[in-house]
Amino acid sequence: MNLKPGTSILSLQTHRQLTNPWIWGALLAALVIALPLLVVFSNVLTPGDETWLHILRNLIPTYVLNTLLLMAGVSLFTFIMGVSTAWLVSMYSFPGRKFFSWALIMPIALPAYISGFTWAGILDYTSPVYVFLRNNFGIDTGQYLFFNILSLPGAIIILSLALYPYVFLISRAYFSRQSSTLFEVAASLGKKQSHIFFGVALPMARPAIVAGISLALMEVLNDYGLARYFGVDTFTTGIFTAWFAFSHPQSALKLSAYLMIFVLILIILERTQRGKMRYDMLGSTYRPIKRTMLKKSRGILAMILCMFPFLMGFLIPVIMLIYWSNLTLVNVVDYRFTELLLNSFVLAAIASAVVTAFALFIAFTVRSFPSRFVKFLARVSTLGYAIPGAVVAIGILIPFLWMDSKLITLSSPGVRIALTGTWFALIFAYLVRFMAVGFNSIDSGMERISPSLDEASRSLGLSNMKTLGKINMPLLRGALISAALLVFIDVLKELPLTLILRPFNFDTLAIRAFEFASDERVAEAAPAAMIIIITGMVPVLLLNRLMGRTD
Amino acid sequence: MNILELKNITKKFPDAQLPAVNDFNLEVKKGEIVALLGESGCGKTTILRMIAGFEIPDTGQIKLNGEVVSGNGIFKEPQKRRVGIVFQDYALFPHKTVWENITFGLFQLSKEVAREKARNIIVLSGLQGLEKRYPHQLSGGQKQRVALARALAPEPELILFDEPFSNIDSMRKHQMREDIQNIIKETDATAIFVTHDTRDVMTIADKVSVLRQGRLMQTETPENIYNFPANAYVADFFGKTNYIKAKVSHDGYDTPMGIIKTSTPLPASIDNVILSIRPEEFTIKTEGHDCFCGSIVKEKFMGEYKELTCKVENPSGEDTEIIIYASPAVECSNEKCYFKPNEGKINILNDD
Repeated sequence: MNLKPGTSILSLQTHRQLTNPWIWGALLAALVIALPLLVVFSNVLTPGDETWLHILRNLIPTYVLNTLLLMAGVSLFTFIMGVSTAWLVSMYSFPGRKFFSWALIMPIALPAYISGFTWAGILDYTSPVYVFLRNNFGIDTGQYLFFNILSLPGAIIILSLALYPYVFLISRAYFSRQSSTLFEVAASLGKKQSHIFFGVALPMARPAIVAGISLALMEVLNDYGLARYFGVDTFTTGIFTAWFAFSHPQSALKLSAYLMIFVLILIILERTQRGKMRYDMLGSTYRPIKRTMLKKSRGILAMILCMFPFLMGFLIPVIMLIYWSNLTLVNVVDYRFTELLLNSFVLAAIASAVVTAFALFIAFTVRSFPSRFVKFLARVSTLGYAIPGAVVAIGILIPFLWMDSKLITLSSPGVRIALTGTWFALIFAYLVRFMAVGFNSIDSGMERISPSLDEASRSLGLSNMKTLGKINMPLLRGALISAALLVFIDVLKELPLTLILRPFNFDTLAIRAFEFASDERVAEAAPAAMIIIITGMVPVLLLNRLMGRTD
Repeated sequence: MNILELKNITKKFPDAQLPAVNDFNLEVKKGEIVALLGESGCGKTTILRMIAGFEIPDTGQIKLNGEVVSGNGIFKEPQKRRVGIVFQDYALFPHKTVWENITFGLFQLSKEVAREKARNIIVLSGLQGLEKRYPHQLSGGQKQRVALARALAPEPELILFDEPFSNIDSMRKHQMREDIQNIIKETDATAIFVTHDTRDVMTIADKVSVLRQGRLMQTETPENIYNFPANAYVADFFGKTNYIKAKVSHDGYDTPMGIIKTSTPLPASIDNVILSIRPEEFTIKTEGHDCFCGSIVKEKFMGEYKELTCKVENPSGEDTEIIIYASPAVECSNEKCYFKPNEGKINILNDD
């Protein structure tokens, strides 16, 4: 159809967007992914009934207080552990520096709830460690070794040990990217090392550090397993109570909405402080940092400082878990365990394939048709990383239950069609929650491919789809594998979302480990926990190898 | 027959203040090699990308082979335009061999025909023996020839080059230009290339369009654009020139250094014009009338020629300095120089 010049109100650009199936697809994906969030927020203003008023009056104050205390404590400790070790590892050389530069990341492979019940087991009256200390050294500190870890301070410590690697990774990247001239100038002005750290490096790295801490805090808001096990009532455990104990969906939704307010404040804080402070390395010529050699006693001090988070956050719990696994392996590993393993791995594999495919689709659409609108769609589709798993689950469960009730009236008697409690619901939820994980990995892979390769392919007559298949996908192999792997592991260790949405009588390794631990059978939880940890170590080691190459 | 027509093309990027391309027009005939010349950021690459379909013009119309591909509510996707491109970074597919790269765009043909075509273009581009290599095993010049062969293999209506010689060292540039010109002419292709190097233009273009800040300055053959630049910007782009203020009167150009007589017909009298005369368009004389006489202020030996700077004095104090390229053999006595602009090489600029 030929329009006469000037008759078209829409610009050619808009016209093309409106007729582009890729953009329609991205729009659809963004809408679907945003659905749970819309559901959660749509319920904020509806008035609550008796049950909600009870929760509001009696429970919410505790939830708010506990959540805030957890966030404050974790901010402080992840900051101290993450930044100090990152500074040491990137600025100085001391015995074991190379080892610590990757060992300090390892706790990321140990989910907080697993580390939590392991530590609780270690410090318990009956733990082999306590028994050993009591019998041989006469150390007896009562019911618990040292102190009762099943408390709010205990939760803060365990969460910080599990989450400080976010701060460590991001500040290490920042410190080592800084030009040494900046620090040399400070040193030439007669500043002491401590002044350089507090006066130059720290203020400069602030945006990076805050970004790391907000990632850690998002994990705090997402956590269910540790808070429940340690008996700390937070918003996330509150959602579970409202859903499972009170059977009151409306309250679960409202709590989710409240929890999202915390998330939003966190995002806004992070964005605004990053927006104001953008220090580039431009202007100063880049020279890699020359590490200062630390003398004997100082070197050993640095080593001890780095040793602490690694031992507490990884090595000790893992040794304990291996010890327990050894004891219980024979009893635990039976045909049910094989089924469990299969369930978990198949579920994680399907979810990671789905997430990777969607992420590839969105990343390619943004690359091929980069308008503001399409970039906005990509942002919407990757929001899920900030939404706690329990909130995603409730936001999906409510509309699915409603759809089920409609489906029942449609289906003939005897045949029940349902969405809730199916793998479909679970995988949909993983897609919402972990889209960003897949997208970021693929998107950074895309950035390394020259856009002229896509254009060359299209100018040679290949459609977008064929270009994706013949050019982008082969070149993205590494990024696709890492996206799939990261999602796979996230799904494998995921707890709150899976607990709410899983099909009846369906268990995963994470759920089994958590249930064993909750039943005071910590040793039996160890084999499942070990499988999760070993799988989780794969990307950490790969990541380290990749970083080593650019080092 | 026009292969390509651009009419009133304007394109402004969302965050830019000025349009990248402003009301641009161009016609390209079959078999022509056209150059888009300008400084970086003048919009020449944007034009190329709009022709290929990677950018969408805000207004205006693009016709390929008589068919509208952009404008009037129509937009044809790049993959349907049959326009080949040789990218500045060559954009060879790193995971494919030379052979796979060249046959990449021949997927619609039968195996035998595709093989035949690829073989021909490989011979023509002098790439025999390299078929099994991967791009990272090739030299810069070889990469460029593969890129060219790949773009030419599907026999596109039009082939576009983005800064084709910018990555080639200057020793090889000359040979490369000639090779590319030969391949284009032998395959009967029509080509447009973007460059900031006037030597590229002079050696291989049939026609050149000069751009400045998104606006078209002039489209002409290289020879005409050199001798008769439309304005000072174009004149300067192609080399040194002398600017002389003048009034056009019936017996010639009235300049501060005297009247330049000319036998070629002049436009109607205009009061204030600027003349441009290239330094090599002067004839040096030993002595005589009908000449201008200047004192030599500076003399530079440049190899094939020498550059003289002559000052012609004017009683009212408005002295004129003229730069002249003279044969190194020329000797001027007493630091004096007698010279005369060549007939037909005096150009009136259209600057405002």
